[in-house]
Amino acid sequence: MRKRERKTVLQLSLLASALWLAAPAALAQDSGLGTDLQFGNALDPSGGTALLGCDPDGATWLAAQRKRTPTGFLYPCPPAWPAFSADGTWRHRGSLTLGYLGVWGDGNNTDWRRFSNWDDDVYVGADLRFEKAVDGSYFDLRASHLNEDSQYVRAVFGRAGKYRVQAFARSQANVTSANARSIWDGVGSNHLTLTGGLVPAGSTSAQVAAVSAALPERILKVVREKQGVGISYMVNRRWTAYANASHESREGARPFGGPFFFNYPFANNGGIYEIPRPVEDSTVNFNGGARFVGNAWRMDFSYSGSFFRHANAAFDYEVPFGLSPVVPGLVSPALTTGQFSYEPDNDYHHLRASVSRKIAWNGDFSLTATGGRMRQNDRIVAPMTCQGQFGIPVIPGALHDCSNWNTTDALSRKRADLGIDTQMVDARVVLQPTDTATWRANAKFQREDYDGTYWMYNPLTGQWGYPAENGSQGSVVPGEAGIWDPGFNSAAPTRIRNLPLDRELHQLSLGGDWRLGDKNTLGATYTFERTERTHREVATTNDNSLKISWHNRALDWLTLRANYTWLRRTGSEYDYDPYEFTFSSALPGYTGGEVAHTVSALRKYDVGSRTQNKLDLMATFTLPREMTLYASVRGDWNDYDAILGRRGYDTIGGSLQWEWQPSASTVASAWYGYDRSVLDIANVNDAALTADPTLGGTTYPDANRWWINDRQRNHYAGANLTRRMGRVTLDAAWDWTYSRGTTGYRYNSPGALTLPTLDPLLTGQFAPMIHRVNALTVGVTIPLHPRVSLRIFDRYQRGRLFDWHYAGFEDGQVYDHRVYIDGGPENYSVNMVGALLEMRL
Amino acid sequence: MRVFIAIGLATAGVFAIAASLAPIAAQEGASAATPYQLPPTHFGSENPQAVHGFDAAPGFANAPVPRNPLAPDAKVVGQQTCTACHSKESQTFAHTTHALGMQVAFTANPDTATCEACHGPGSTHAQNPGQRGAIIAFTKDGGTPVKNQAESCLGCHAGGPRDHWLGSIHQRNQLSCSDCHNPMAQFSGEGLQARQSINETCATCHKDIRQQFNRRSHMPLPEGQMACVDCHNPHGTINVALLKTDTVNETCYQCHAEKRGPFLFEHAPVRENCLNCHTPHGSNQHALLVAPVPMLCQQCHSHTRHPNDMFNEQMLGNAMAPDERLMGRGCLTCHSQIHGSNNPAGPRFHK
Repeated sequence: MRKRERKTVLQLSLLASALWLAAPAALAQDSGLGTDLQFGNALDPSGGTALLGCDPDGATWLAAQRKRTPTGFLYPCPPAWPAFSADGTWRHRGSLTLGYLGVWGDGNNTDWRRFSNWDDDVYVGADLRFEKAVDGSYFDLRASHLNEDSQYVRAVFGRAGKYRVQAFARSQANVTSANARSIWDGVGSNHLTLTGGLVPAGSTSAQVAAVSAALPERILKVVREKQGVGISYMVNRRWTAYANASHESREGARPFGGPFFFNYPFANNGGIYEIPRPVEDSTVNFNGGARFVGNAWRMDFSYSGSFFRHANAAFDYEVPFGLSPVVPGLVSPALTTGQFSYEPDNDYHHLRASVSRKIAWNGDFSLTATGGRMRQNDRIVAPMTCQGQFGIPVIPGALHDCSNWNTTDALSRKRADLGIDTQMVDARVVLQPTDTATWRANAKFQREDYDGTYWMYNPLTGQWGYPAENGSQGSVVPGEAGIWDPGFNSAAPTRIRNLPLDRELHQLSLGGDWRLGDKNTLGATYTFERTERTHREVATTNDNSLKISWHNRALDWLTLRANYTWLRRTGSEYDYDPYEFTFSSALPGYTGGEVAHTVSALRKYDVGSRTQNKLDLMATFTLPREMTLYASVRGDWNDYDAILGRRGYDTIGGSLQWEWQPSASTVASAWYGYDRSVLDIANVNDAALTADPTLGGTTYPDANRWWINDRQRNHYAGANLTRRMGRVTLDAAWDWTYSRGTTGYRYNSPGALTLPTLDPLLTGQFAPMIHRVNALTVGVTIPLHPRVSLRIFDRYQRGRLFDWHYAGFEDGQVYDHRVYIDGGPENYSVNMVGALLEMRL
Repeated sequence: MRVFIAIGLATAGVFAIAASLAPIAAQEGASAATPYQLPPTHFGSENPQAVHGFDAAPGFANAPVPRNPLAPDAKVVGQQTCTACHSKESQTFAHTTHALGMQVAFTANPDTATCEACHGPGSTHAQNPGQRGAIIAFTKDGGTPVKNQAESCLGCHAGGPRDHWLGSIHQRNQLSCSDCHNPMAQFSGEGLQARQSINETCATCHKDIRQQFNRRSHMPLPEGQMACVDCHNPHGTINVALLKTDTVNETCYQCHAEKRGPFLFEHAPVRENCLNCHTPHGSNQHALLVAPVPMLCQQCHSHTRHPNDMFNEQMLGNAMAPDERLMGRGCLTCHSQIHGSNNPAGPRFHK
């Protein structure tokens, strides 16, 4: 355990101890706060109850017909929990499971392994509960181990109605690539070095391709290891208090990037590297507070803290390819290494106070105030890591000394010193003056203030800006190093400072619900929301929305719910270039020509005007013979007021679900779902570098306009059957997903293309992107002894996957000066057989 | 990790011991009518132990008996009357923490409401079991209005995560607590759900959302490693989409704290809302993206030179003019730090 890890563990332990000393109580994670509320795995997502089977005696001896929820869904059969054994003061029940999982076929597939990292491995599971009837004490333990990357243990103990303590530890895998060919050694470390004898900045594309092709495929993964403890205590009838603390570490590697300038316009030049980025960080989360519930008043006070830490500030990677200036006859100094900064250590503090009171007219008033701060003050690394010089010799101002840029003395300040302060105040009132009417009103104020300014000024040289793309851009194209000075580089456009983003929101909402008889409820809500933003294209946006809801139970066998929302966003005048103050063109002495920042007709969809319609319909049919049928439709249509940019985004989907539980020995269900989305985008290719930003002008001519239409279609289906036949239980589950996406395009002329010569070859769309997975699991549980049962199951899963981004990667992953490590989605067919022996205590 | 677990459990254990020895505030006695004198029956455990003179769990000891407007004259009859008929229900109920707490409180004080703490006074129901609404029932044909069902549960469970239940979207759509919870048996590992898990409970009505998690990229909810309630509070919140935090981004930062920053160089749509680029429930694209790269980026970027060319299938790896802006990770192969960069040479997210 490294020094930083030990420090984190110690901090957390001290925190937990301080909590015990100072706080009278704490709350375990609950639906109002925190995460880690589900402990399961790919073998049993339910976390233990799914494999129990049904109690053969059902839920009651008083009625043959099964009970349903008020909406109409059948309650499932009660699980067949083992009986408690009484042995002294404590009674207990539970089971231990031991088994083995074997995987055959294409087990090394990213999609198959993704969140479980399935492989041949021993399985261990435990589910124990101890109760002390004398005083209501209990202890609950659940554990499951698929492999070292996918396992958990969760313990809960306490006294019913008094206190509850939860502690857990879990490992969660995220396989980011199972077919990676890394030409870098040191995967997972902070220094990635070239393998296979490749020479940094001195290798040819053929050499790199040969090394890549000869490499075996490997698995890249990031594993989260998380531990937590939470305490809940009921001080008295009114007050409860709580605290939770957790520590999570992430470790592994994932495909990432690495820019050394373009290759597409410059054959045998530039460099684009998909490096295996190391991941090694930790996060400590803490929340705690107190809640009061009285006859009239309710209160909730809480603090949440989160502390992200990284042991290192940056990592570097060697690059195989050299760079050549576009000016013939010149030779750039070699750049052998690129660098990335890790995400900064950051602290998050958040305080929340909420006070509610019952008021007249059977009403309720709530006032909530929160305040928070996100802060980071990391040491900033130097802009470059090179030695010697970088850039292009001979050309004045194009060659730079590394010693002026590979030191933190090249920075305007050594630490980031940045923060975002947040505040929120929310007031709401609900009145129920009669049994049939409810009135609602709500007002909210919310603000985010970005605090901190960073100037990209080098005090060693008096220059502004930064060496772009690890110094590569200025090593290929003169004048494009990214560095400005009032001398030779006075015309260089570059960034000179950070971009602060503040936001303030004002919201007002009014609504009502009316019960029309016993069968119908209608509701309507109007909401106005004004958002002000700094340094964005739209300074103020106004959202007006109207939501209507209808609930109907007119028919005894049918429950209907319908919700419709209309939203209209408008705003202040659109400023297509609010960022000029961050560029060198704002500096005195800038001599560069004016070039359009972007096309003025483009609208950024996150702040631009739009109209939205949303519809949500749900119907639950209570059928005879212990059946339920459920149908839902959901649609979301967005029309953006934009000629360029996102113009429309529509989604619609639905599902049909059937359930049947004729007896405790038979449970069956089947479902089908469908959804589709259509995304319309438009843009325009530039034809020249001029100052004219208008669509149809000299920079962005109409002839260069183009449109994209992305359509996604998804079909889903599944069925489940559990059937007890004598002493044996059969279970079967089938899941099928078929996703098909087509990205089509059209354009006014070949001027829209990078290479107009490709025009005759174009078909108007990319190959369909496919994700089709079929999985069938069949299992049988055989009792061998009153306390021992054996479950044998087979899971067959087949995937047909295609992503056009990776077209051709099966033949090689090096294309001129582009190196890719991730082979992309691949077809697979896997059979997993498991044998689990369960022993009941 | 082991050191952490050991210290944490030890700390919690010491706390638990101290808590169990701590005095309890004086309890207000539950007001209940004198129960009918009926033969004793089992409740909960197969081996009930009547022990006097110990501390009862304060939560259960003071459980109020909810009022049933459909049976205003009903009187409390005591659990023995209930379990005389509902013995199977009490057997399955015995596996829950509710039963454990109620049993302790009842043993300490036989006047404590147990069954009737949820179902209301039972005399009318005992006299006429088939009469709908005679007792507070939580099922479809029970006869009790949804509003009264919720009031019964909130008699003990008001506040906390349920602070904003009144006026919430689920309450306004006439959902009862028993649409999602069934405390009569332990169906789920967490939360006394009506189904085998939190996720399955939500998927009962929100199947169209649940099915999105079957797409190519998704968070590990189908794998049982997270739940809908990690992000949403179904009991009602003051935030959009029933989120538990003040903003969408703060919800995401709960698990993705490395994205919190703030960074030296921010990417404006990222700071605005993670959902500008990602769709949280499932996507056919890599990494929960809304659209394929580079089209995702070209919705906002049309700067001169390289972002605004129209990309096509002839620029892929197996075609005429392979182009790094389209292949593999596309734009993100160079602009890798797309969520923000803390490098002084990272304003375009290259470092």
